[in-house]
This record gives sequence, C-alpha cells and structure tokens, in this order.
Amino acid sequence: MRRAVLAAAVLAAACAGLPAGPARAAGDAAQGKALAAERNCATCHGAAGVSATPNIPSLAGQPEDFITLQMILFRERLRDAPPMPDMAQGLEDPQIEALAAHYAGLAPGHAADRAPRDEARYQAGAALSEKLRCGICHLPDYRGRAQIPRITGQREEYLAQSLTQYRDGKRHGSDTNMNAVVYGVPDADLAALAHYLAQQ
Amino acid sequence: MKPGLLALAAVSLSFAAAAQQAPVPGWQQGRPESQAASPLAPNAPKLTVTPVDQLPVGRLTLPAGFKAEVHAHGMPGARMMAVGANGTLFVGTRTIGRVYAVTMEGGQQKVRTIASGLTQPNGIAFRDGALYVVAINKVLRFDGIEGKLDAPGTPVDLTAAFALPPEEHHGWKFMTFGPDGKLYMQVGAPCNICLVDENRHALLLRYNPDGTGREVVARGVRNSVGMAHHPVTGQLWFTNNGRDWAGEDEPEDTLGVVQKVGEHFGFPFCHMGSMQDPEMKGRECSEFSAPALRLGPHTAALGMRFYTGDMFPAEYKNSMFIARHGSWNRTQRSGYDVVRVSLDAQGKATMHPFLGGLLDGNAFLGRPTDVQQLPDGSLLVSDEQMGAIYRISYAR
Repeated sequence: MRRAVLAAAVLAAACAGLPAGPARAAGDAAQGKALAAERNCATCHGAAGVSATPNIPSLAGQPEDFITLQMILFRERLRDAPPMPDMAQGLEDPQIEALAAHYAGLAPGHAADRAPRDEARYQAGAALSEKLRCGICHLPDYRGRAQIPRITGQREEYLAQSLTQYRDGKRHGSDTNMNAVVYGVPDADLAALAHYLAQQ
Repeated sequence: MKPGLLALAAVSLSFAAAAQQAPVPGWQQGRPESQAASPLAPNAPKLTVTPVDQLPVGRLTLPAGFKAEVHAHGMPGARMMAVGANGTLFVGTRTIGRVYAVTMEGGQQKVRTIASGLTQPNGIAFRDGALYVVAINKVLRFDGIEGKLDAPGTPVDLTAAFALPPEEHHGWKFMTFGPDGKLYMQVGAPCNICLVDENRHALLLRYNPDGTGREVVARGVRNSVGMAHHPVTGQLWFTNNGRDWAGEDEPEDTLGVVQKVGEHFGFPFCHMGSMQDPEMKGRECSEFSAPALRLGPHTAALGMRFYTGDMFPAEYKNSMFIARHGSWNRTQRSGYDVVRVSLDAQGKATMHPFLGGLLDGNAFLGRPTDVQQLPDGSLLVSDEQMGAIYRISYAR
C-alpha cells in the first residue's frame, strides 16, 4: 500500500516535471565564444562544437551544467584527460560558465566522418540501452539534462572510450553512478552501445 | 566505484528480495522495481562561485530578535566547519575536493583554498594548533596551520594508521574531537540498504588523534554526518540519515544518543527504533536501541552542534542546532532548514524550527549543511549549494 502510494506520487511528479533546484545565472555566451576562440578550443572540438577529431567529444548542445562540472573537475585535477587539466588552469568560474553557455547554445550535429549504421550492432546497443536504462537519467532521446551529458549523436569512439573508462574506474562524474551502471559490461557490448548512441 | 564495494553490494543484494544481477548505483540500490522509472535522484552539486548578490540571505526566516547576514562566500561546496584557536574558520567540501580557510583581514573575510584535489574532504577538526582533514582515502594533519595559511606545506599523512575502508558511497566523514581528546567519526553503510560487517560499516568510531586505539562507539548507524558531545553530560549525540526508497514519509532521519559504548541502533534491520525494514529480515526492533528523536523523512539531518554561548536567549543554552540539508528521495521536498532541539530535565528531546525560508514551493534556494558557534555566541550556517556561510546573531 505504502509503495503503491509512493509509486503514484512519483508518477505524478514525473508527469509534472522534476522539482526545480535553485535558479542559476546563465553564463555569458558571447564572452564564452570569445574565450573559446582565444583558447583555440575549435582546433580539437570543431568550429561549431562538433568534433571531427577522433577521441575528442562534440560539445555543441551539451547541458550547461555538464560542461561546467567537467571543466571544474579538469581545473581541480579531479578528472585526468590530457591536455584538458592543463588547459583549464587559471580559468575563473565565470569564464567556465561562459564557455558552458556558449557550447550549450550551439546546434548539435553529427561528425562528418560518422560510419554507416551496422544494423546488428545498432540493435544490440538499443537492447543494452534499454537494459541499463540509459534513458532515465540521459532522458529518452539521450539529450541529457543538468550535470548529465548529451550522448545522442556523440562521436562513437569517444563514447566507447568514456564507457570503458567508467567501467574500469578511470573516470568519475560528480558521483559514481556511471561506474556502477557499466560495471562488468564486456567491451563488445560497450562498443555496440556507443554505436547505437552515435547513430541517433 | 571500488571493486570491494561492488563485491559487498553483490553479496548484500544476494540477501535482498530483489533479483538484481548487476551492481546498481549506491543511491539507487534498494529501489523497488515498481519505481524503476522514478525521476527522483540526488540533487546535482553546484561547483562554481555564486555571486554574493544571488545568495538567499534575504529570504531566510528566523525567530524574532535573530538576524542573518553573509559571513563569507565564494567557497563552492562549503560543508563542515571547524574554528581554529586564533579564529580561522576551516571549511571542508565533497565533490570539489577542497579545504578552505576563512580569516578576517582588514575588516573583510578573506577566503583561501589551503588544500585541493582530495577525494571528498568533508571531515575537519582542529586541536592543538593542527587541522585534521579526513577524505575518503586519506587522513591528513596540518600542524601549526594558522601560522602558514598561504603555504600550508606537506601535511602529516595519517592514512595508514586510521586504515579507513575505501568505499566511496557514504564514505565521506564527519569528524569531531570529544572531551576525552579522541577523534570521533563515522563509517557509513556502503549502500542504501544492505547487510554490513558490523565491525566495519554503519559505525561511530573513536581514535587517538594519531590513528591508534580504534574503538567502536556505536553500531547499526546507517550514516551519521553530524555528532557532538553534550557540554554537561559529555554524552555523544548524533544525527543519522534514514534509508531511501521505502516510503515518502518513512523512515525518518533521527537524532540519537550513545548511552553505552558499542550499543546497536538497528541498521539494516530496524529504522528509527520502530520500523522493520521491508527487505532485511531476521532481527527485531526490540533488540536495538531507539533514537531520542525523529527528524523528519528524507530531511538529510547533517551537521549538529550544541549551543553553549551567551548571545542567544537563555533557553538556547545547551540545546542542539541541526542543519537539515534537504531531501531528494521525496516528491515533496523536506528539510532545507536548521532546527533546534531542546532537552528537558528528564532528557526528553523536542524539535523547534529555527532557520527556514529556503524552500520556494518545491524548489530549493540553498542547502544548510553544518552549524558552528563562534566565540561571540553567534552561529554560523554553511550553505553547500551556494558556497556561502551565513552568520546568525541575536539582539534583544
């Protein structure tokens, strides 16, 4: 009975949308654009935030909070992904928020060098995504929210690399949820999941 | 997540009714299948500086005669507080991995980051000129810290002596010195709900300051992120966070007091002294010590201290202030305030509202995390979400 009531309440909350956290001042996107140009972010992440570089993520359309969190983790040397920790040194919080606002405002897109869809791997990845419930946190269309990244259309090899790092305990978010989600998942399954998400 | 935790989680799950095969995130563990699509999840931290004009200090509500002001700000993730002999305020954090020091210089509060890159350095305590910092994987001592805030140097590493478990979930510590000169801290359960080794997890512990002499003070405490010794009786009082995914309104978080060293408060079998766990069977509530007071469902009662100052009204003396960080596992938010708990002549505990105003409908404006009395009798309240510390004073 108790659980039934809670389940109903939870469902109601889901329909009404999540309770909001504190209002946040959005970063200054124009300042972020200038800073991105000054720091040559486009060299690796692409002129429009869509990466054409293997193992470098696309940033266009990522949630602001996600970019901010990752940049802080780089700057504090709590996430190791060279050369980003070095590049983040000296950035002030408002500069990081500005960069986040800039990239969050760019239109997401697919890498030009995206491989064609492999139907078998796509279907295997879709099944795995269902099983691991990726769409609960990343949302059903995988566009992400708050500190949770957009994974739809991300570069395939970058997704595979990230998933492997989470599985092997070499990367953490602001918590250890992802490490637990992909714990023990074989390489081939992670590759299929990356393929499925990249093909969205 | 560490393999040790996963192994433990796997063992725990094999005892649970749910037929889970894969390990689940700690916060999600214990969630019934019927709620698998629940959008409830821990609130995201804010790790950037909040400008002072965006702090919710003007929204805070207090009893008549009290006032709140910004004491210090610009400290993302500010959590537990300790005051040095010369008045330096030290502040621990979790995700951002820093320890801050706040000093009054030229009429202004100056904030320094004195340590960084640590794994959740939440626990801090000060004694004999030294700052003790406990992170999940480290215990450090900064000797003579107040004389070298600009260059703290390499701390003494006490990690090996304390030999704390490595699990991250509920692995961050609250730490305080007792009147016996010992360091008190908790080791939380590495899960939401699971069977634990009763000598390793869900404990209150005390150590000699050098890490020797480990002793279990209490068992069956799910996760206490606040404890303090009564200024008169010397008894250890502690807050305890109740399990998730077992109801909107229960179990409640609790306030407990250790009457006998080593006593057991019921986790994982019994919550708040009266609620048998829906999954963990085999031991009855009657076997365990009950808490002194319930502190509300999912309120996340964290930092607590006794008030011993002279600034506040007489009835505040020797009562407790408790920061309630605020809920995530509840559709209607609860907590997000500071309460006061008084004790009558028989030791009966009663809760009174103190600081509120941080809930706007079902949105929160800040997250009180710890309280700390200053020598002048005013009270500091840390706000982790806003990276700020408010000072509460009273004038008749």
